[in-house]
Amino acid sequence: MNFVAKNKLLFFFISFVAVGVICQFALNSYIQALVVSFMINAIMALSLNFITGVANQFSLGQAGFMALGAYTSAVLTKVFLADQWYFIPLTALAGAVVATVAGYLVALPSFKLRGDYLAIVTMGFAEIVRVLFLNWNFVGGPRGYNGVVKWPEFLISYGFTGLALFLTFMVLYHLKISWFGRNLWALNEDEIAAEVMGTPIAKNKRFAFLFSAFFAGLGGALYGHHLGYFSPASFGFLMSVQILIFAVLGGLGSMSGSILAAGILTALPEILRSLPTGGLDIRMIVFPILLILLMILRPQGLLGRKELF
Amino acid sequence: MSAPTKMLSVENLNLSFGGIKAVDQVSFHIFENELLGLIGPNGAGKTTVFNMISGFYRADSGTIKLREDVINEYSPDKVNKAGIARTFQNIRLFGELTVVENVLLAMQQTETLGWIESLFRTKSYRDKEKALYDRSVELLKIFSLDHLAEEFSRNLPYGLQRKLEIVRALATKPKLLILDEPAAGMNHQETEDLKKLIHFVKQKFNLTVLLIEHDMKLIMSICERIVVLNRGIKIAEGLPSEIKANTSVIEAYLGKRS
Repeated sequence: MNFVAKNKLLFFFISFVAVGVICQFALNSYIQALVVSFMINAIMALSLNFITGVANQFSLGQAGFMALGAYTSAVLTKVFLADQWYFIPLTALAGAVVATVAGYLVALPSFKLRGDYLAIVTMGFAEIVRVLFLNWNFVGGPRGYNGVVKWPEFLISYGFTGLALFLTFMVLYHLKISWFGRNLWALNEDEIAAEVMGTPIAKNKRFAFLFSAFFAGLGGALYGHHLGYFSPASFGFLMSVQILIFAVLGGLGSMSGSILAAGILTALPEILRSLPTGGLDIRMIVFPILLILLMILRPQGLLGRKELF
Repeated sequence: MSAPTKMLSVENLNLSFGGIKAVDQVSFHIFENELLGLIGPNGAGKTTVFNMISGFYRADSGTIKLREDVINEYSPDKVNKAGIARTFQNIRLFGELTVVENVLLAMQQTETLGWIESLFRTKSYRDKEKALYDRSVELLKIFSLDHLAEEFSRNLPYGLQRKLEIVRALATKPKLLILDEPAAGMNHQETEDLKKLIHFVKQKFNLTVLLIEHDMKLIMSICERIVVLNRGIKIAEGLPSEIKANTSVIEAYLGKRS
């Protein structure tokens, strides 16, 4: 039985601190923002990977959960907590809880749906959420939500987002390798056989949705406080697809793969941006080609179902 | 000796798909520790009866009782918890899981494992996992599959996959084991082995077995009693020797002599 051993944890912690210190004192704010973005992307990728990779429930609604988290946390800090940044961890959790409730509501009618049909339902859910915020003037409607309280310092932002990523990873990874994860693998492969073995599949799917929605909401809240501005358009269909790309590239079912892929796909567009192309923006051509190549050469994703350690 | 108790009783079961009566007033029962065969030509309704017992179809009317519990309305996982395990005609193992994980998955459903302890992977949780793992390997050992424990189950040869499916069913600690055409696609030697395996399982785990099968030789040689279905209706019931001599059974299989 493998589990994250203490010395590995120590190693991760030390490298985390080292990266933080290097970013703070040696690198500019552009790179710093990118590092935080990467961690948020990783949280989103993990949340989707759990529901789609492990439980095989195709969700295209992560952006919806994300939006709920972002708006909830932003409104709470602005309206009730006088824009004090030190309440962000609390309001982010509240955002995650709101997303979880929504996750429950989505999961209720969805447990009989599979594959493409479930994808359509979750996509519809995300659209409903988006349109709801689009028509809600209090949060800026289509103009977006301005002046969301931001973290005051890079290191604070880095620390809390890192903590959130750590929590997300530990919870989902431990679930994956536990009895619950085994139930999900079984229903991933053959729902009928899983049911006959006594696995309550509807209940298991519901719980998988709850966990996924919780962390998607958490990621969304952090996204809002990281950027300080977002609009309903930030949480459109493209966002859901982008999260899906992270999870698929890393390997559906591989938690560390999701983090790896989030890292690569956050950095890659920025690296391509800096290439000397004589004023030509070839970024949007190279990026998709690289993705297509990767999926041809390694359709199961970078890590398949395996973990890095 | 007192009269044997009934393990499973099926009473006046009906099910129609649209205008077709797939199962029409079927009644039979299985005594405790009995090996009952359910046979019939293609389309006789065997699998439909089977799917109603295991909770995939709801009967239009009639009752299915496991000992004293009416299990008609149970979902498949509840049927399993009540004590009925089944295998599939076309093998349904979890191919991407290892052999031992297949068994572990079935076995863990009989345990209560908590959320918090699995999130923190506490010492006691790891011990429980270890114990479950050891018990799974032990069960595999009985069927001499333990040397394949860490193999992906999709890599197993056909005969062993069938065997593993039976082991996995046993891991849920059933009282009644239902085998759906276990000899399908097997050669003569494999069928002989299967026969021994069924006897062995029945003795060792003190089980009641319901066998659905096409292979007449297998059915006639191991079943204690046989129920014959044709076009959704029970046409005969009795000892293998009686079934062999029953004219309506012969007619159902071979047609009427002109």
